[in-house]
Amino acid sequence: MTTDVMIRADGLSKQFGSVKALDRVSFEVKRGEVVGFLGPNGAGKSTAMRILTCFLAPTRGAASVSGFDVFEDPLKVRESIGYLPQRAPLYTDMTVHEYLLFAAEIRGLDPSTFKSRLKKVIDVCGLAQSLGKNIGTLSHGYRQRVGLGQALIHDPPILILDEPTSDLDPNEKAEVLKYIEDIGKDRTVLLSTHNLAEAEQACARAIIISKGRVVADGSIDDIRSRTGRRRYVIAVDEKQGEAGKKAPSAAELRDALQGIHGVHKAHELPSDESAHRIELTGPQDTDLRAEVFRLMVTKGWTLLELRRDAQSLDAVFRDLTRADEKLDRSADWDSGADARVDEGEGDEDDDDADGEETTKDGSARAEASEEKA
Amino acid sequence: MSIMWTIAKREFRSYFDSPIAYVVVCVSFLGLGLLIFFGQGGYWQTDRATLSPLFFFLPAVSLLIVPVITMRLMAEERRSGTLEMLITLPVKDSDVILGKYLGALGLMLVLFLFTLLYPILMFKFPWNLGPLDWGQVASGYVGLVLFAAASVGLGLLISSLTDSQAVAFFLTLALLALLWFSGTFAQHIEGAASGLVSFISFQSRLEGFQRGVIDSRDSVYFLTIAALSLIVSFRVLERRKWA
Repeated sequence: MTTDVMIRADGLSKQFGSVKALDRVSFEVKRGEVVGFLGPNGAGKSTAMRILTCFLAPTRGAASVSGFDVFEDPLKVRESIGYLPQRAPLYTDMTVHEYLLFAAEIRGLDPSTFKSRLKKVIDVCGLAQSLGKNIGTLSHGYRQRVGLGQALIHDPPILILDEPTSDLDPNEKAEVLKYIEDIGKDRTVLLSTHNLAEAEQACARAIIISKGRVVADGSIDDIRSRTGRRRYVIAVDEKQGEAGKKAPSAAELRDALQGIHGVHKAHELPSDESAHRIELTGPQDTDLRAEVFRLMVTKGWTLLELRRDAQSLDAVFRDLTRADEKLDRSADWDSGADARVDEGEGDEDDDDADGEETTKDGSARAEASEEKA
Repeated sequence: MSIMWTIAKREFRSYFDSPIAYVVVCVSFLGLGLLIFFGQGGYWQTDRATLSPLFFFLPAVSLLIVPVITMRLMAEERRSGTLEMLITLPVKDSDVILGKYLGALGLMLVLFLFTLLYPILMFKFPWNLGPLDWGQVASGYVGLVLFAAASVGLGLLISSLTDSQAVAFFLTLALLALLWFSGTFAQHIEGAASGLVSFISFQSRLEGFQRGVIDSRDSVYFLTIAALSLIVSFRVLERRKWA
């Protein structure tokens, strides 16, 4: 059982002077999992990863990687991981081949193993064209590939990647994510990012940390349903109604939808000249679509679009981390923590103000991504 | 052990991947040549088969070369973040420090090796300017190597204390100059202070070697400085974990 846990963090705390970068962070990553380590910038993702790779020591707590303790067996830990630090800092005066050879030599790979591994790495990371080039002349995306390459050169069972997609253009991002997906098929991967769409694409499970604390840990779907609500988007023709009936104004439509039993919140989304678009949030366990349809029929409004999805991960993320932000401002740490839990459960009144802003932004983004798809 | 050599090799090679090694070697040879033949009233005026100007000026030139070579050792790694990449490979902190030290010292030794051309060309082939005391030359080189071992150590230590190459350069230059010129300074003061100042002076410590005397006290002095610098650099590197 224990051998299946590849990465274990147990109450990790890290203090930089008066700044608490990590506060009792605990999590486990099992063999074969691809886990997204999410959090806003400065949440402590990199610090946690640096502790796992034995670059930093925790102020308190313990961690083990592949069964080796980070304090007692730092060399064994490093042997079993491939690590890509943020921004892939590489020696710019070396060629790609020289760099990979350097990493392989330090890892004690013999020349024949290196050769066969190099082939695989070139294949997976797409480095064939740039092997002889100086790293200093490569674009960010290619450097990231080289960084990924050096992390893979010894075929490690565990990969720790710190924001592998930051600073990349969308094409490069998609490619790197695809590599990670490929790589993750037979490895344990811990991948940090502050971009949720990426986490959704590459990971099945996510750990969200904020202000140095774990605020959520579970499958992406679980986390998404954490606020216990569903989101509906409705578009209604604003020029013409059915059978000679008048098209509604935006306020009319919103008020009518708000009147449906179970609707938690309705607000207008930005749209073009032809339709009103309204976003509704409703409870997780009931389906409001039928009610919405009936309303349209009774009123004689032209329904152009009706769709339901779980609340976007973005919105959940903001919910979780914003709550923490608030907590950061409160004087009493512990009572703040309780408040946070309450909000997570969905206390109606408390949530209201929070939810409004969150969904506005979150849904706008979700919209955009869906349209792309 | 092999990891240390891999790091040393990379460090050494990287000097030649950038213009540093070439600039350092060329400029120091040009300067050294000028100093040997025109410094101290001119080489030919001495009218003796001697290489003492070489052993006098080479360490002086090294005061400038060592900071150029050592300034980036750790400072650049920290600034660019490559240190994180290096240290999260399965390496010991001591491998990193020793590897970098040997890489930089290697370049100094290569430079010294080139200066062997002076005695060979002038006193062996094609010219033979007179009977040279080869024992003195050998002891002079022993002194130079020990001097380089100590100064590169200090340079590495200072480089590991800062993220800025420029700061590392100037601090190392200042420290080496202080340790060098304290010898001259000691001649102008009296009593116990004079003894103390000349005790720490690289210049005074090298005089014996230049005369052909390998004094174990001088050797131990240089080696102690080298060892202490390495130990402190190692501690500084280790400290990052607890920062």
